[in-house]
Amino acid sequence: MLRKIKEKIKKIAAAGKKRPAKVKSSVRSVIKAPSLRRKAKPSARKAPEEALQKETVMGVHEMAVERSKFSHPETFKPRKQMPQELPGGYGQDKIVLQVRDPWWLHCFWEVAGDTWNNLINRLKELFFSAKRVLRVYDVSNINFNGKNAHRYFDVEVAQEASSWYLDTGNPGRSWVVDYGLKLPNGEFITIVRSNVVSTPIDGPSWMTDEEWMVPEEMFGKLYGMGFGLGQATSMGKGWQDRFKKALFSGILSSPGITSAGSPVRKKPKERGFWLVVDCELIVYGATEPDADVSVQGRKIKLRPDGTFTMRYSLPDGKQVIPVKAVSADKIEERIITPIVGRETKISNTVDQELAAQFYKNE
Amino acid sequence: MNKGYLCLVLHSHLPFVRHPEHENFLEEDWLYEAMTETYIPLLWVYEKLVEDGIDFRVTMSLTPTLISMLTDPLLQERYSRHINKLIELSHKEIERTTWQPDFQKLAIMYLNHFNKARDTFEKHNRNLVSAFKILQDLGKLEIITCGATHGYFPLMEPHRESVRAQIQVAANHYEKHLGRRPRGIWLPECGFMPGHDELLKEAGIKYFFTDSHGVLHGTPRPKYGVFAPVYCRNSGVACFGRDLESSKQVWSSIEGYPGDYNYREFYRDIGFDLEFDYIKPYIHPDGVRINTGIKYYRITGPGGEKQPYVPEWAREQAASHAGNFLFNRQRQVEFLYDFMHKKPLIVSPYDAELYGHWWFEGPQWLDFLIRKTACDQDTVRMITPSEYLEENRRNQVITPSMSSWGYKGYSEMWLQGSNDWIYRHLHAAADRMTELARSHPEGTNGIVKRALNQALRELLLAQSSDWAFILGTGTHTSYAVRRTKDHLLRFNRLYEEIKSHSIDGEWLSDIESKDNLFPEIDYRVHQ
Repeated sequence: MLRKIKEKIKKIAAAGKKRPAKVKSSVRSVIKAPSLRRKAKPSARKAPEEALQKETVMGVHEMAVERSKFSHPETFKPRKQMPQELPGGYGQDKIVLQVRDPWWLHCFWEVAGDTWNNLINRLKELFFSAKRVLRVYDVSNINFNGKNAHRYFDVEVAQEASSWYLDTGNPGRSWVVDYGLKLPNGEFITIVRSNVVSTPIDGPSWMTDEEWMVPEEMFGKLYGMGFGLGQATSMGKGWQDRFKKALFSGILSSPGITSAGSPVRKKPKERGFWLVVDCELIVYGATEPDADVSVQGRKIKLRPDGTFTMRYSLPDGKQVIPVKAVSADKIEERIITPIVGRETKISNTVDQELAAQFYKNE
Repeated sequence: MNKGYLCLVLHSHLPFVRHPEHENFLEEDWLYEAMTETYIPLLWVYEKLVEDGIDFRVTMSLTPTLISMLTDPLLQERYSRHINKLIELSHKEIERTTWQPDFQKLAIMYLNHFNKARDTFEKHNRNLVSAFKILQDLGKLEIITCGATHGYFPLMEPHRESVRAQIQVAANHYEKHLGRRPRGIWLPECGFMPGHDELLKEAGIKYFFTDSHGVLHGTPRPKYGVFAPVYCRNSGVACFGRDLESSKQVWSSIEGYPGDYNYREFYRDIGFDLEFDYIKPYIHPDGVRINTGIKYYRITGPGGEKQPYVPEWAREQAASHAGNFLFNRQRQVEFLYDFMHKKPLIVSPYDAELYGHWWFEGPQWLDFLIRKTACDQDTVRMITPSEYLEENRRNQVITPSMSSWGYKGYSEMWLQGSNDWIYRHLHAAADRMTELARSHPEGTNGIVKRALNQALRELLLAQSSDWAFILGTGTHTSYAVRRTKDHLLRFNRLYEEIKSHSIDGEWLSDIESKDNLFPEIDYRVHQ
């Protein structure tokens, strides 16, 4: 999470640099705008450190490529008349339970105003001392009737909450969630009950098929190969746990925890200051509209009024640029030859005193 | 005699982005860029292989939204405008780089590329889908479908009606454009939930793909891992698991080919590099700098300093990487063949847009790989899933595990703090759509039928996984927010108007003309 925020700040900072100094010189050479994108968008393939950390986590590269399809800067401007907002609720009593991964569930709920009123009328002042609770039932392999769950656990939620992530700690099970009130005496009153969901297991199944029997050793090897860990995968006890660690690392912790708790030493801050300068040369002129004009021996096209403009990227060195015009009747010829040179000097200085202060504050 | 099979799968998808109400709409460029850099260059590869008499097999999804855009006259006209501007810019670039031969050579390369792209586009009467269909009809390409709008199926639960609608609309749309029912499907984001296979069966779909753990964590244990498909219990639909070893070689930012220093750098584009007044006519009219597609540098190294791109070096590297990929598949297949006593199947799926758009040399690599596979060896044979199932009818029956190919392998990419708010509304709309479908049986006609069909279109569009994905990445989210809200608000208004018998015909016509995909849609599939 921290890293994400840092990246975001970096991006915002980079975006702020989008107006580099633009200098027009009187000899009509234009100092080119630098590569604005250079800092603004570190590519996935250019961040080896970060990539190394994430390398083994499933789906990282796929996400990077998919993201590149949508690589555009922010341009959408709100219309004059913004669309109306989506409704805050749909006036119903409902809770929907979703599977995020083998361990985590997500649910969102809504309770209609009438339902709350009925509860208040029924419970009187008890209502106001009741806690809002999600009761999570393990209903694996049963037809749940509200009373026959294998077990359940309660999660107290904030009064204003209307969605929640639940850590079941137990993959490969089926779950139902009730949203309700827990009274001071421990009594639980269900307000809405969710759909049933089943989470996937987080490793290979223990079940084998008689007809398609596969020895443990062979399966372990195929398993490792399927995940791209090569043929040399060493087997033995605990191979499944090792795979789990290698492939789904980080999955057990919610996104908020992973990087904030990272023991990696803080890197000194990288200063992002930069400057790019380039030059272009504009050669322009005019002659009779029907004349033949060439620049450095290459014929160019005139505008209908006989004017012309050529624009060149100007590298270091000397450019001799003969511009030749021949009258339509071939009688007259004029040549004008600008000679232009470019020499680039680079100087980088750092104010040591300020720099020392900067790094101290870091 | 071959010892195993390679099944290359390219998943081509873009969300439906079409804004007739704006003369220029930035996000429409997603399509134009992918056409110029991926879809058309892939066609060149395929068409040349056919011309040269090289046999090959590639499985390729064309999502219904992509097909809808590629066949839409307005977007075709706008692509024509787009490519013509690029050609104009390339001419200017050739002149501008007169004194820099390294760059001028590249400007000429781009001019040729864009000219050729325009020719291909026009040659196929602007309809790239028909160009791909020709290759399918020749037996070289197997085109598969996808969810109608690329909705992420596992998070549609418990509203299985929505999953059904995504599949049914897609299959019907496929049939309309490709002349037969789809045999296979690429589940959006490879997202699978046990039970959805039965909905595929209803639509006559014979196979789908999951990520490795979809099969490897299936129950009971799959005897051959991901190196043979399995049939799903109950439905009998075949499931092909991804091989991660071959995937990593291409996808990975570390070991992967696309990061080679000789390849073209994606992030240095003249849209950002050049002086503002000069480039202004070719970026967004508001002056926002965007990618033009003209990029002059090679990756060079890990630092920010970049050197000019040298096409010959890159081409050499692509050939060498193709050879390396094939060599590794041969070793993999030989090992597995001895180990399994059966010909293994290596399933290697990629986003199609990786080829050409992200990895400029990707189409070249594919071309080399196919030619080498066809001409240089006998160990590995390219195959489509349909052919494999035809030749190998007996496969193990298991229940694959819930899975996706997204970050961390499950649903977190599309269900996290930044995007979980959408599900409350999507599920409410799905509930309402089912209610509408059930309360308007066959025989509903006229404006009510039109409104019902449009309601389903709006719901499907709101369900595109792309919006949740963009929200999940946390950057440039306003368009994704807008699309999610717009479609849901249109849906809600249609619902209210249908229920209260007060359909606003003028407004209905307006949104029909904007969200105009799936003209053949039938709202009754959502139940």
